[in-house]
Amino acid sequence: MANLSAISTWTLADVQHFARRAGFGLNPTDAAALQIQAPGTAIDAWIDGTGPVYDPTAFTAALATADVVTESQVNASTTDPGAVNVAAVPGPHAFLVDTANAWRNNLNTAQAYLAWRMQHNPHAFEERMVLFWHNLFATGWHKVNNAALMLKQIQLFRSQGLGRFDDLLVAVSKDPAMCIWLDSVLNNAPGTSIPNENYAREAMELYSLGADNGYSQADITQLALALSGWSFTLAEADYVPNPASPSQRTVADGHFRVYDGSAIAPDTRAWYGGTRTTLQNMHRTGTISLFGQTLDITTTANGWAKGENALRSIVTVKGANCAKFLAERLLIHFVTAAFTTQDRDDVATMIQASGFDLRVVLKTLLKSQYFFDSAHRFALAEGPVSWTVRAARMLCPPLTVAAGQTPKGYPAWRLVTNNATTFDQMGMKLLDAGGPNGWKEHTGWLNSNNMRYRTKAAAALALAETRSSNGTTYALFPTSVTADWFPTAPASTQAVYDRLVALLQPGPIPTAVGTAWLAALWPTSFVWDAASQTKARELAFLILCSPAGQLY
Amino acid sequence: MTTRRDFIQTLGATGAALAGLSACGGSKSGSGGGTPVQPPIPVPSAPILVVVNIDGGYDWLNILPPNAGANLGVYQSKRANLGILDSAQMSDLGGGVGLNIDLTGMDALNAQGRVAWIPGIGMPNPNLSHFTAGDIWGQGSATPGGTGWLGRFADTAFNPTGDVLRGLTVTSDLPLMLKGANRSFLSISSAGGYVFPAYLFSGNTMPDAALIESGWGTALSAASTDPGYLAAAQAGKLFYDAQNNPAFGAGGSLLARTPSVLYPGDAGYPVTRLDTGTLNGGLSRQFKLIAQMIAAGLPSQVYFSRLGGWDTHSNQAVDHPNLQRALGGSIKAFYDDLASITTTSGIAQDRVMIMTYSEFGRRVQENNGGTDHGTASLSFCVGKAVKGGLYGSYPDLANLDGNGNMRFTTDFRSLYATVLERWLGQPAATTNSLLGSTYGRLNFL
Repeated sequence: MANLSAISTWTLADVQHFARRAGFGLNPTDAAALQIQAPGTAIDAWIDGTGPVYDPTAFTAALATADVVTESQVNASTTDPGAVNVAAVPGPHAFLVDTANAWRNNLNTAQAYLAWRMQHNPHAFEERMVLFWHNLFATGWHKVNNAALMLKQIQLFRSQGLGRFDDLLVAVSKDPAMCIWLDSVLNNAPGTSIPNENYAREAMELYSLGADNGYSQADITQLALALSGWSFTLAEADYVPNPASPSQRTVADGHFRVYDGSAIAPDTRAWYGGTRTTLQNMHRTGTISLFGQTLDITTTANGWAKGENALRSIVTVKGANCAKFLAERLLIHFVTAAFTTQDRDDVATMIQASGFDLRVVLKTLLKSQYFFDSAHRFALAEGPVSWTVRAARMLCPPLTVAAGQTPKGYPAWRLVTNNATTFDQMGMKLLDAGGPNGWKEHTGWLNSNNMRYRTKAAAALALAETRSSNGTTYALFPTSVTADWFPTAPASTQAVYDRLVALLQPGPIPTAVGTAWLAALWPTSFVWDAASQTKARELAFLILCSPAGQLY
Repeated sequence: MTTRRDFIQTLGATGAALAGLSACGGSKSGSGGGTPVQPPIPVPSAPILVVVNIDGGYDWLNILPPNAGANLGVYQSKRANLGILDSAQMSDLGGGVGLNIDLTGMDALNAQGRVAWIPGIGMPNPNLSHFTAGDIWGQGSATPGGTGWLGRFADTAFNPTGDVLRGLTVTSDLPLMLKGANRSFLSISSAGGYVFPAYLFSGNTMPDAALIESGWGTALSAASTDPGYLAAAQAGKLFYDAQNNPAFGAGGSLLARTPSVLYPGDAGYPVTRLDTGTLNGGLSRQFKLIAQMIAAGLPSQVYFSRLGGWDTHSNQAVDHPNLQRALGGSIKAFYDDLASITTTSGIAQDRVMIMTYSEFGRRVQENNGGTDHGTASLSFCVGKAVKGGLYGSYPDLANLDGNGNMRFTTDFRSLYATVLERWLGQPAATTNSLLGSTYGRLNFL
C-alpha cells in the first residue's frame, strides 16, 4: 500500500533524494538551505516555482549569450534569387532556435538549448516535467523534420504540464509536431473514406490508457473518425525563408484547425505551406460510437473542436483506466519501478480524486511518505540526459558565476550534443524519439553500448576534455577543481572522496571499491597539489562510470 | 477438432517435417537474375545467424502480392489504389504469389533458390500494438516470461563467464529478444574507438582501466540485488570485457574493411528512391559493420540488426517502395559481400543465414493513402544452406478476422524452433525447452 500522506520533516538525504528525482540535484550547500524549510512549503515552492530562489530573471537574461560555440557562415545559394550570405555568429550568442532562425532546423542546437535550460533553470522542476512529458508524448524530429515545432511542443509541456491531464491530452493532440508525427494531418475521412488510425491508436495505447486497457479495435477506428481532419494552418509570418536560399521555407509555428472545408482565414497557408483560401474537407460528420457511447462529432460545444468530445471521453468515461496508466508512468519516472499493484491503484485513486489535476497529483506524490521511503532511494537507473545534466550542475560553475566569466563558463552543449558524446549514443536522442513509445526507463537505459558512451561522457564531464570547432577550442564542460569542486582544500584522500560523493551523489559504492580507487590513485602520501587535483578529476570519472553512479 | 494451428504446434519434437506446410516449397520460378536454381549446401560447422528486424509492422502483402487465384480478387478490391497489380512489377513465385521487384535483388536470390518465404507467419491472439506484438515476437515462448528466445539461447549455450562476443546487436539498444535470465547480448553500434576515453591512453598517469573494472567487476561480485545496480554492472562489464578482445586493435578499432560491393546508400549504387535520391543506408551500415566484424574474426554467432520506418499509415505509395529497395538491396549486397570474406571456418557467405521478422503485417483494406496495423506477417530466410521456396500457407484473404485482418497460418515459434535446432545446433529437446513447447519445424533447413 502506498502511503500518500505527506512527510512533516525531512533530512538532508531526503532533500537530496527529492532534488535528484524532481529536478537535477542540489549541491550540498543548496540542499542544506532547502532542508531548513518545512518540506510541505518547500516542495510547493519547488513545484510552483515561487520565491526568490526560483526567480528566472538572471536565467532569462543569460539565455542571450548561452551558446558559446561560434555559428558558421551559411553561404548564399548561387542559383536562388535574392540569396545572401548569412554571416558567422561569434560565440557567445543566443541559441539560434527562435522564429527568425527556424530555417536552420538544427536538431543539435535545439538539444543543446534544452540541455542548457535543464542545467541552469532555477525552476528545475519545469525542465524535469519536460523530460517526463517528452518521454510520454514521445515525438521525433526525424519525421517532423522541424526543430521549431519540436520546441513548440516542449514549450507546451512547460505551459500545460501541470494543468489537467485531459486538457494536456487535447493540447498535445492539437500540437503541430504531433499532428505531423502520427499522421493526423493525413487523416482524411470524409464521407465513407477509411480513416488513418495512427494517432487514435497511440492516443489510447501510449498516451492515456495503456495497451489493451479498456478499449477495442473498434474504439480506435471510431476515435480516428472523430479526429479526422485535425491539422494546423500557417500565417505568412510562420513560414520563414532561409536567407541564404529564399526558396526554401520552414514552418516556424502553426495554429490548430479542423480541416472541414471552411475558410482558412485568418491564416493563408495549409500545414504543408501551400497557399489556400479554404481548408480541405477531411473531417467525418455525424456520430460515432466510442466506449459504448454515441457522440456527435460534427457540432461543437464548450469551445471544443469538432471531435474533441471523443478525445475527452477517454478521461471522462475511462477515468479509472487512464488513472492507472498515468500512475504507472509517474511511479516509474519519479519513485520506483518495483511498485505493487496496490501501490499503483492507490496512486490512481489519488489521481482520480484530484480530477486529473497534475499539479495536485505531483505535489501529493512528491511529498508522500511513499516517495521518501528509504527503499526507493537510489532505486532507479537514471536516464542519460538527466545523468549528464545533473553532473554538469554539480561540477560546472553556477549560472551567477558562469555568466560573468570570459569566456562564459557554460558547457559547449552544442558540441556535446553534436559530436562529442551524444545523448543519442547514450540512449536518449532528445527531441527525436525513435518511436511514439518513447524510451524505456530504469534498467532500459542500460546496455553495454550505452555504458560505453557514458564512460566517454564521464570523461568529458570530469577530465576537462576539449573539442575544436570553427578554429576555436572549447572546454566541453568548463570546470575548476579548486574553485568549483573544492573551495576548501581537502586534508586527505578520504576528504576528496567524500566531497566528490557529496557532489555527484552516486548510490552506495562498495567500501572495497572506494578503498581500491584511493589506494591506486594515491599510493603514497597525500598533498593537495596540481597532481592531486588531476587525481580528483580521475576519481570523479570513476564515480560517474561506476554502477552506483548510474543510480539516483 | 484439430485445427491447422493445433497441428503445427503439436508436431513431434524430432523435427518432423511440415510436409503440408511446404507444399509450395521448391517453387523457384522467379524471373530475376540469370543464375539457375542451385542446390543448398549443408549447414556449416560454424553457422552465423543475422536477424533483421523489419520494424514498424510491414505491408508484406504488397511485397508478396497475390497474382492469381481467389486471393487476387479480394486484393484488387481492397487495394484499389495501393495494390501491386501490374505483372511487370513482380516476378512469379508460383502458387498465385508474386514477388515485388522493388524488393531489390531478392528476385535474383530467389531465382538461385536462396530464399525461403514464410507468408502468414504469426500467432494466436495477435496484438495490433507495435510494442506488445514486438515483445511477443521477442519473447518467442509458449508462456512469455520476460526473456527473449535468443537471450534464453545465450543462457543455455554461452559460457556463463565467457562468450562475451558470441551474441551481438549492432543497434544501440538491447531488444528484449536478446535478453536472457542470466546473459544479455553485447551492443556495439560502431567499429571505431571501442575503448575507454582517449584520456586514458594519452600518457596520463591514471592506473588505467583496471580501476574502472573494479567499479564494474567488483560490483558484480558484491552482494547487491538492486536491479539497476546489477544492470549497470553487467552492462559495464560486458563493454569492458569486449574491448579487451584482440580484434579491437590500436585505438579500439576493428580492422578497416572496404566492402567488395556497393550497398544502398553508397554513391553509385544503381537503385535510387522512387522519389529520386539516395536510398536509406541505415541497414547497409549495420550489414557493413557485421561484415567487418566477421572479417576481423569476432567470434559472434548471432547478430541482430534493424530497419525501421515500415509503419506506413500514410504516404505508402512512395515510402513503401523506398523501404523495400533499401531492405532488399541491403540484403542482396550483404549476401554478395560475404562471398569475399574468408574466415578460419570458411567463406562467410557459406556460414551466414539471414532471418527477417516484423511484428505484424498490415490491414488488407487500405485507408486513404496507407495501411493500418494488421496481424499475420512474412518472414524470410536467406542463405546458401536454405532450401528456397514458399513455406506454409498464404493467408486466405476472403476469410479475414473480425477486424479485417489476416488469420495467421504458421506459428512464428516454428521458425524459431527450426533456426534453433537446424541452424544453431540445439538438440530438439533443448529447442523445445527454450520455446516452452514443441513447435513444428519448417523444411527450409
